[in-house]
Amino acid sequence: MILLLTGCQENTAVSHGRSTALDAQNLVEVTDDMTAKLLADPEVRSAMATRGRLKVVIKPVENRMTGEVLPNGARHAFINRLRTNLQERAADHFAWVVNRDTWHAVRAAELDPGPDPDRVQPEFALTARFSSITDESSRRRSAYYLCAYSLTDLSSGQTLWTAAYDIKKSAVKGFLD
Amino acid sequence: MTVTRSILFILLPSSFILLMGCGPTAAERRAHRAVDDYHVGDYGRAVHTLRPIAEKTDENFVLNNARLGSAALADYDLDTAENAFLNAYEVINSTGTNSGGRGAAAAIISERMKVWKGEPFEKAMVNFYLGLVYYVRHDYDNARAAFENSLFKLREYGEERGDRDDEYRRVESDFVIGYVMLARCYQRLGDADNARKYFARAAELRPRLRGLTDFGQHDRSNVLLVVDFGQGPRRVTHPYDGAFVGFGPRPEEVGSIPLPRIAVDGQTIGSAGPRGDFFVAPPVDLLALAQEKRWQDIDTIRAVKDVVGTGMIAGGAYMAHRAAYHSRGSDQRRDATYAAALIAAGALLKASSQADVRTWEMLPRTTFLIPLKLPPGRHDVTVDFPSEPGLAQTWRGIVAPDAGDATYYLRIQPATAGEHTWPPRKPSPAPAPAPAVGATDPR
Repeated sequence: MILLLTGCQENTAVSHGRSTALDAQNLVEVTDDMTAKLLADPEVRSAMATRGRLKVVIKPVENRMTGEVLPNGARHAFINRLRTNLQERAADHFAWVVNRDTWHAVRAAELDPGPDPDRVQPEFALTARFSSITDESSRRRSAYYLCAYSLTDLSSGQTLWTAAYDIKKSAVKGFLD
Repeated sequence: MTVTRSILFILLPSSFILLMGCGPTAAERRAHRAVDDYHVGDYGRAVHTLRPIAEKTDENFVLNNARLGSAALADYDLDTAENAFLNAYEVINSTGTNSGGRGAAAAIISERMKVWKGEPFEKAMVNFYLGLVYYVRHDYDNARAAFENSLFKLREYGEERGDRDDEYRRVESDFVIGYVMLARCYQRLGDADNARKYFARAAELRPRLRGLTDFGQHDRSNVLLVVDFGQGPRRVTHPYDGAFVGFGPRPEEVGSIPLPRIAVDGQTIGSAGPRGDFFVAPPVDLLALAQEKRWQDIDTIRAVKDVVGTGMIAGGAYMAHRAAYHSRGSDQRRDATYAAALIAAGALLKASSQADVRTWEMLPRTTFLIPLKLPPGRHDVTVDFPSEPGLAQTWRGIVAPDAGDATYYLRIQPATAGEHTWPPRKPSPAPAPAPAVGATDPR
């Protein structure tokens, strides 16, 4: 009984739970996979060769998942880690342009009022859209995720590159769940 | 005597441990004070008290975060409300939370040792409020996901009954607020097909609420009032043995829910009051929903412990009677020892069969959703209940945007009646630019 009582001190509300939500491991898997696919894509390599450094703006992940909240931090993490990977592995091929809203917000917070200089216009947008088929019953919760990333030419609207990573997760409910 | 000593050696420490666990801890007492603050309308103080308690990842982690979320939402502290409801959401969505000995401790020693995750209606409300916070912030993607999840949580009711579809449909029909808000999210995301689909589903489940499920009414609205009214259900135990009885009060014990009347700048809005055609019934009654209490394995264990404990006490009483009147010498000592052991063990079992009565006390009885189309600018909005005088709240400075919508959460309580100025506290800036479709933040 004493063992049970003392054991509860270490078994916290967050120490044993298993959920179907996207986690840190998925973040690493997805973004590493996307990095490799994007850098190996012939169309992207061709654009790098002809246009030099690609001026790219990134957008946080668009959550199209069923019943799965993607908090603000995670929405940025799933795209920012891809950008960081690309910067580390192909710094000469990308110029990262800050998001317009963020740029105005930072300027407004940090600079004295004055005329806005011209912002470098991005040529491409790196975006992600996560979708899922989620189901839950009294016995289990399961989710199939499709994490789709795209690099779109902003002037023509043409999708230069797109790839997806799918993840299947399931959590079986037990005693007291 | 060796047997007696052994029994006492086991029973006395066990009794001591069980008795120690009976009283509320300091954190629980603070949480109860915060609940009292909430009910007298001192939301800021409730948030201040609950914030450090809600950080502790103990068995009350979900409950204290749900409490903190409620208080923060009423205080318009959206950052705190989002974090609190998100903490609760993550644990509620996890499975195996009570593994690693906690489940066994809850079954053997006290059910209060399990991580509280709430009944399905409480899980649904955590998701509903999380969705509401995102909706207020115009994060319609995440709001949609949270409202969808609120509907998932209700499935646990219907599936455990014989006739699944009918049962689930009945429970769903008591929670059309999830469908209506889900439809509004799709509307704001520009997906009219899905919006119509979910409004139609809500209308199908509750035909009397056809006015609330009207696509055009919501599409035109630029202000949404979310009005929480009344007190939600509480866990009730038997007064003599502490066994779990269910949730109370029952709806029939406290009467019907009064309908709100809305006045803008002193003029009653005809379509959004009990005299109009918009509201003919409350969209949800948590007192009714709580009557669907889900029977769990631990309830069976607790019931068995209670019955066996009662049997052991009765057996001990019989042995004591025999020792007193029918035995002599060593037989009398043996019977007396057995009687004491049986009574003590029975009392221990009964003590460990006490029901877990932890409750999310801030829950309302109902939530009204009132979409309004107002001229852009600032307005004074009054919500009152003609059949319940003394509850009227007037909010001065409510902003109606010229594009998109602004959402206002109002908690109706006797202590908070009167005039207020919007916002109730200085708001913190939104964490990031919202990907809104023509939306305007009320702040």
